[in-house]
Amino acid sequence: MDVGLFGQYVMNGLMLGMMYALVAVGFTLFFGVLDVINFAHGDSLMVGAFTGLATYLGLRELGVVWPAVQVPVVLAAATAAMAVAGALIARYLVLPLKSAPALNTLLITLMLGTVLRESIRLFYPAGANPKPFPALLPAGAVELGNFSLRADNMLMLSAGLVVIVAVHLVINRTKLGLAIRAVAQDEETARTMGIDFTRIVLVTFAIGSALAAFAGIMNGLYYNEINFGIGLLLGVIGFSSAIIGGLGNIYGAIIGGFLFAALQTIGAVALPFASAYKDVFAFAVVILIMAIRPTGLLSEKVSERV
Amino acid sequence: MQPKTGERPSLWPGLLGIAGVAVYLIVFLMIESQVGVAVLLVGGAAAVVLAARFGALERMRTSFAGREGSMDIAVPAAVLALVLVFHQDHFTLLLVATVMIFMTASLGLTVQFGFAGVLNFAGAAFLGIGCYTAAVLTKNTGLSHLLVILAGGVMAALIGGLLLYPVLRTRGHYSAVITIAFTLLFKTFLEVNDALGGPQGLRVDGLNLFGWAFNDNIALTETVELSFYTNYVLASLVLVCLGFAFLRRLDRSWIGLNMDAVRLDETASACFGYNISRWQITAFTVGNFLIGMAGALYAMMLGFIAPTNFTFGDSLILVSIVLLGGIGNPWGIAVATTIVIVLPEKLQMIQEYRFLLYAAMVILILLFRPRGLLPRPLRAYFPGWQPK
Amino acid sequence: MAAQVSAVPEPVLATRELGKRFGGVVALEALTLAVAPNEILGLIGPNGSGKTTFFNVVTGIYPADGGAVTFDGRDITRLAPQGVYRAGIARTFQRSRLSLPLSIFDNIMVGNHKRLTQGLWFNLFRRRAFRREFEESYARARELVAVFDPPLADRMFEAVEGLPMIDRRRIEICRALISRPKLLLLDEPSAGMTHDETTQLMDDILQVKDSLADLTIIIIEHEMGVIERITDRCAVLNFGRKICEGSYQEVAADPLVQEAYLGLE
Repeated sequence: MDVGLFGQYVMNGLMLGMMYALVAVGFTLFFGVLDVINFAHGDSLMVGAFTGLATYLGLRELGVVWPAVQVPVVLAAATAAMAVAGALIARYLVLPLKSAPALNTLLITLMLGTVLRESIRLFYPAGANPKPFPALLPAGAVELGNFSLRADNMLMLSAGLVVIVAVHLVINRTKLGLAIRAVAQDEETARTMGIDFTRIVLVTFAIGSALAAFAGIMNGLYYNEINFGIGLLLGVIGFSSAIIGGLGNIYGAIIGGFLFAALQTIGAVALPFASAYKDVFAFAVVILIMAIRPTGLLSEKVSERV
Repeated sequence: MQPKTGERPSLWPGLLGIAGVAVYLIVFLMIESQVGVAVLLVGGAAAVVLAARFGALERMRTSFAGREGSMDIAVPAAVLALVLVFHQDHFTLLLVATVMIFMTASLGLTVQFGFAGVLNFAGAAFLGIGCYTAAVLTKNTGLSHLLVILAGGVMAALIGGLLLYPVLRTRGHYSAVITIAFTLLFKTFLEVNDALGGPQGLRVDGLNLFGWAFNDNIALTETVELSFYTNYVLASLVLVCLGFAFLRRLDRSWIGLNMDAVRLDETASACFGYNISRWQITAFTVGNFLIGMAGALYAMMLGFIAPTNFTFGDSLILVSIVLLGGIGNPWGIAVATTIVIVLPEKLQMIQEYRFLLYAAMVILILLFRPRGLLPRPLRAYFPGWQPK
Repeated sequence: MAAQVSAVPEPVLATRELGKRFGGVVALEALTLAVAPNEILGLIGPNGSGKTTFFNVVTGIYPADGGAVTFDGRDITRLAPQGVYRAGIARTFQRSRLSLPLSIFDNIMVGNHKRLTQGLWFNLFRRRAFRREFEESYARARELVAVFDPPLADRMFEAVEGLPMIDRRRIEICRALISRPKLLLLDEPSAGMTHDETTQLMDDILQVKDSLADLTIIIIEHEMGVIERITDRCAVLNFGRKICEGSYQEVAADPLVQEAYLGLE
């Protein structure tokens, strides 16, 4: 394979990996504080992307055409909207089912995902069709032989990295992060230490969902197109990444995200005739990893208390 | 809770209930005007609320539980009455048969997550496996169609086994994500696979059992002819009755108990010797077998199948049926399937919104009535059995 | 050495240097303990001293990090919970773990798993044989419930979720006893009960033990009165180590034990 094509694959894998990692971190955060799996997470990403798109269109109507303004406003609107949505989901759908069987939480979030997906399809203007997503980032590129390193991709990767480092710092260096970790360790002890459990859960869901919105915007910018169905597969991939990394472990989720993207890329290289099979390949490997190491590569929260 | 010794509950509330539902359904299926349908819906809901308010539902429930043998005859008899009324109406008979085929599939899903707690969000995919198996076998082999239906079930069970064996062997809720991924990939697989007709799909031969061609209308006399869908209604009635009887036997045995125990508390059941994956795998396999058989029959009835019939949304509809009806209760399945399948066909207004509507409905059910419309009763190994 | 071993009866359960860590926390440290046939051993110690962890390691829920467990002359250290149960050890849980939506009878039958026929064919198609097995199981379950909770003996097909905690704890003991285990592990059976209810429960346990020829019991308990009245011997744990072993009087007089308890007051 020539260098240019190779570079293209690597770049593509890194971009996908960054998106998957951002989604997977959300899954792992939710699982950490509440032992639940939020299957609406992928659709939060999708709604985040649509919120960003709508914000962009609104700005254009208002005559704001400078990317330097558009990008931050679009990002802020999408992440803020999803943060609020995440907290609402936690407050009204997930927490009420806390003492019900775990299956019920899974089902209710899955159904919520369907509601979000269908709502966009039915109620967003012509929502059933794919929507072009504006190229808001500078279009320049550095030519390295026959491989062009695009500026927008580099910007997105760096931004993703900044976000991940920021999450790391929040979790490990702030009082809020300490509280989140305490709740993840042991809810009852955290409560007796005076931590407001409900507040921590809501904040965690807000953070996780904001990350999904960020990934949604990245997705739109990268593919220049979004549609109501993107969240479903991205959610499943994000969850699989979180599992192979070890649910509850943030670094595992990040590694898992990049690993999944690597698998897909390898699949695409190995099976160039049918791109549909690259996902089959990636999921097959995930099933294999789960069969060999059911707790994931970096397992964290082990068994329940007996 | 326990019935008083020697006193069997009356038959009448149950029979009246069945007759009422049958008459209501006949009127509902006959009516064409959208306003009429809407009025009838409101009326039906009001009747149920009133019946619950004045204890009529409770009396029906006791009657159903205590006089099971009679009810088991009365309900299929009501279905046959429905067939007689609509004997020339292709559309309605197709709808009735579809309801019963989906009932069978939902019974399979009930064994999986109603009993053993194994989530399966690939119900539509396994239905599709049954369909495509039937399509391929009827086209390429001269296999007896009875065996084709069985093969549909075996195929679904086998592929399900390949898919989940590694996951269930190690336990966990991961079956959810694997089955979702499978549904998404299954549709793509069908679309890119030219041997299976690609996005255009495949034609399927009609059912033919020992020379009885199901796709021919039945001429009773010179003038009276039954729609050929009558055949399929009868076949699906037989299938759903078998599924129902099987589910009941399973539930009323140690195996039903094992599945419940594994679902409710894996740690405790491990401490009492339960091989957790054995019961999860049993449930998953048996359930997919039922779903696959339903699929094979479905394909032969439709005569034509395409990948768009087997999307994730369709899988979620199956899940909605099970949750709505009351997890683990086969009578609940019967009620919920009828509502979920018939409603969008009659009320065109909601056709487009059905995924949204059912998802929202399930959210409400989970929040406010997690045991569904007809909650599952406690296990009675031998109904009416009294300790000596 | 050999003479010494034959002097004491062969222990039913013996652990040697048993260890368990959770991350950096040592939950059990080199625990060596022998339980004689037919005795009732009390396991006491402050909260977090490793008592429940001991049960969880013995029953195979947590794998041991080191050491060995011998039961009935057989090494069971590496057995999964299923194997431990088959070998003849049954337990109750600190937080009641009944299946709430199921009936009393169903819950007890969960404990009877190894004595029930599990084949698909038998369960689905040999209904007459199944009925016989069902009726026998019912009679045995009813007999047990009649000892521990007489009013419930005629309500065997009611859901457990409607019952108060005291009844649930008693049913949990029935569930553990129905398979006729050789060793019964009781994890704080009296938690949440009043003094009188506890006394009643202990009487019932003693009565059942007398009626069953071959039953050894290890009981975790905070009520010192209970320990004093029903145990033959006690072992005291603190920070995962055994600090003392002997009759209740001996243990209560031990300065290390007093320190362990007073240190936490």
